[in-house]
Amino acid sequence: MAVGLTRWTHALALTLALTAGPAGAQDDTPPPSRAPRRLTLGIEGLVSVATDDSGYFNYSDYEKSTTELVRLRLDASLRLGPRAALLLEGRMDNGGGPSLSAAYLRVRPFAGHAFDVQLGRIPPVFGAFGRRAYGVDNPLIGQPFIYQYLTALRSDALPASADDLVPMKGMGWANYYPIGSETWDHGLPLVAADRWDTGVQARWAAQRVTVAVGVTQGSQCNPRVRDDNSGKQVLGRVEVRPVLGLVLGASAAQGDYVAESAIAALPPESRDASHVQQAFGLDAEFSYGHWLLRTEGILSRWFVPPVEEPFVPSPLESWGVFVEARRKIRPGLYAAARFDHAGFSTLTASPPPGSTTPLVTTWEAPVTRVEIGAGYNIRRNVVLKAVVQQNWRKEAAEQSDMVVAAQTHFWF
Amino acid sequence: MQRVFVGLVLSVLVATAAPRVAPPAHAAAAGGGAIRGRVAFLREVRPSDPRPAIADLGMADGHHGTPDDQQVAVVYLETAPRGAFEERPGPTVVLDQRNETFVPHVLAITTGTTVQFLNSDKTYHNVFSLSRPKRFDLGRYPTGRSKSVRFDRPGIVRVFCEIHSHMSAFILVFAHRHFAVTNPRGEYRIEGLPPGSYTVTVWHPVLAAKTRAVRIPEDGGDQELDFDLS
Repeated sequence: MAVGLTRWTHALALTLALTAGPAGAQDDTPPPSRAPRRLTLGIEGLVSVATDDSGYFNYSDYEKSTTELVRLRLDASLRLGPRAALLLEGRMDNGGGPSLSAAYLRVRPFAGHAFDVQLGRIPPVFGAFGRRAYGVDNPLIGQPFIYQYLTALRSDALPASADDLVPMKGMGWANYYPIGSETWDHGLPLVAADRWDTGVQARWAAQRVTVAVGVTQGSQCNPRVRDDNSGKQVLGRVEVRPVLGLVLGASAAQGDYVAESAIAALPPESRDASHVQQAFGLDAEFSYGHWLLRTEGILSRWFVPPVEEPFVPSPLESWGVFVEARRKIRPGLYAAARFDHAGFSTLTASPPPGSTTPLVTTWEAPVTRVEIGAGYNIRRNVVLKAVVQQNWRKEAAEQSDMVVAAQTHFWF
Repeated sequence: MQRVFVGLVLSVLVATAAPRVAPPAHAAAAGGGAIRGRVAFLREVRPSDPRPAIADLGMADGHHGTPDDQQVAVVYLETAPRGAFEERPGPTVVLDQRNETFVPHVLAITTGTTVQFLNSDKTYHNVFSLSRPKRFDLGRYPTGRSKSVRFDRPGIVRVFCEIHSHMSAFILVFAHRHFAVTNPRGEYRIEGLPPGSYTVTVWHPVLAAKTRAVRIPEDGGDQELDFDLS
């Protein structure tokens, strides 16, 4: 640990030395008055209330729903030199204690080149929504399924067979498996937008193209501060802007998602099997005048170690897509809508009671959502939102659910 | 709160103002005296910084205003001569968007003026205002394009860009023409004033406004009136 800390300290010192500006005169001359501020702060808060979401469509764990959320965020940027800054985000959700949801060093090693390196608990490289998951950039209140909806799969517990997985369909908010953790807990989303991963990321930007690559501790479905297995995630993103107002993006990631504790609970012959998550994403944004259109699609492939027959097919696949539109109606007032769907691949399980035919079914319950709403700015930095969303879930309990939600969102 | 108060005062006064000593119409037409002076900024006002871009994958290459943009004040008469309210064809002025900054940061115009919001950047901008005298939202438009807004009600209009939260500008809309924007040295000059007593106010987006009285004598001439803002 001491060796690790020393290495990090040296790396930080070297980074700062490389990115420092020319040394100033050692006298009492005040710094130039036009230098940017050393510390800039931003505050953002939101209060969301909603009708009962009995089908847990909006939950990001058992107790936390994206439509019933009180959040206070404090962002800080501390300039360490002309080409280096430390960025921090503290967050308090639902009256709980503060947590550090982002903390990283941003460095531009070469002056005049739009090449940046970020190190620490960094913003998501993958996809587009993850970097605008909260705040005014989400015109509605709910989050797209691909970034929030909890599947039945877990990182700390594994199904021994397909028969363990089928009863958990539609129970992503709390489920149980025989291998690994013996507690009931929530499952994994395709991509977790609410938590950021830890690692290093580099970005190169030109006028029409941006390329970003990274290596992190966790995976798309389970970002981590401390690694819980020996595998790292590698990920990348290419963004193209062919004309002003149009952004096209493609992302890919691969990383181990199963915790060491669950792997250790596997039979020895299953431990070497792959347990990575692969994710591929495409996204597009177009805006002009008073219109803003966005769409994003993700394919996730989870490799699950085989244990017992009927085996869980590996990989388990899931795909999702959303299309979102916002139209400003008059100054301060807009309307928005989102169509959202997540689907899942099939597996073959043992015949149900009273049948001799093996059960062929999706490994999770497909879900669909339509959310429409409006936002009104009572001030530039205070917006009131109201939405109605209708959720549908096939092949599981709680097949439909209407949620009405309101949100006050402010920032400084 | 102070800005709101000043804005309200400005709106009411310029809309209803009459000279304390009503000058004869021929005096106003003849040109009369002038008020000139210098506004000293005793405290540096810095442009607003962009909020921390926590979710970005790298440094932003955008630029923003310099302190020079902030050292601008508007000096105006709270009570203007009657002739100053004559209807005139509304001129057109340009408010540019350059390096993610509104240029100028402070614009003073008369009612009936049309402002062209030009986009000189390579990115989209989306100019809007939620101020009572003029609410508008021009949507997103690209480089080289401009969109126009006519201002018919006096008052202070705060202008923002929906995409770049650090961009802001002030448009002061007067019902009369007796106002001046300070030059880079802080100097101003208000001309064409008939003899009489006037209340002169200096306004700044951040610093506290100041008001002083001045009298233009019967034989006209320039009256010196300096202000210190802190």
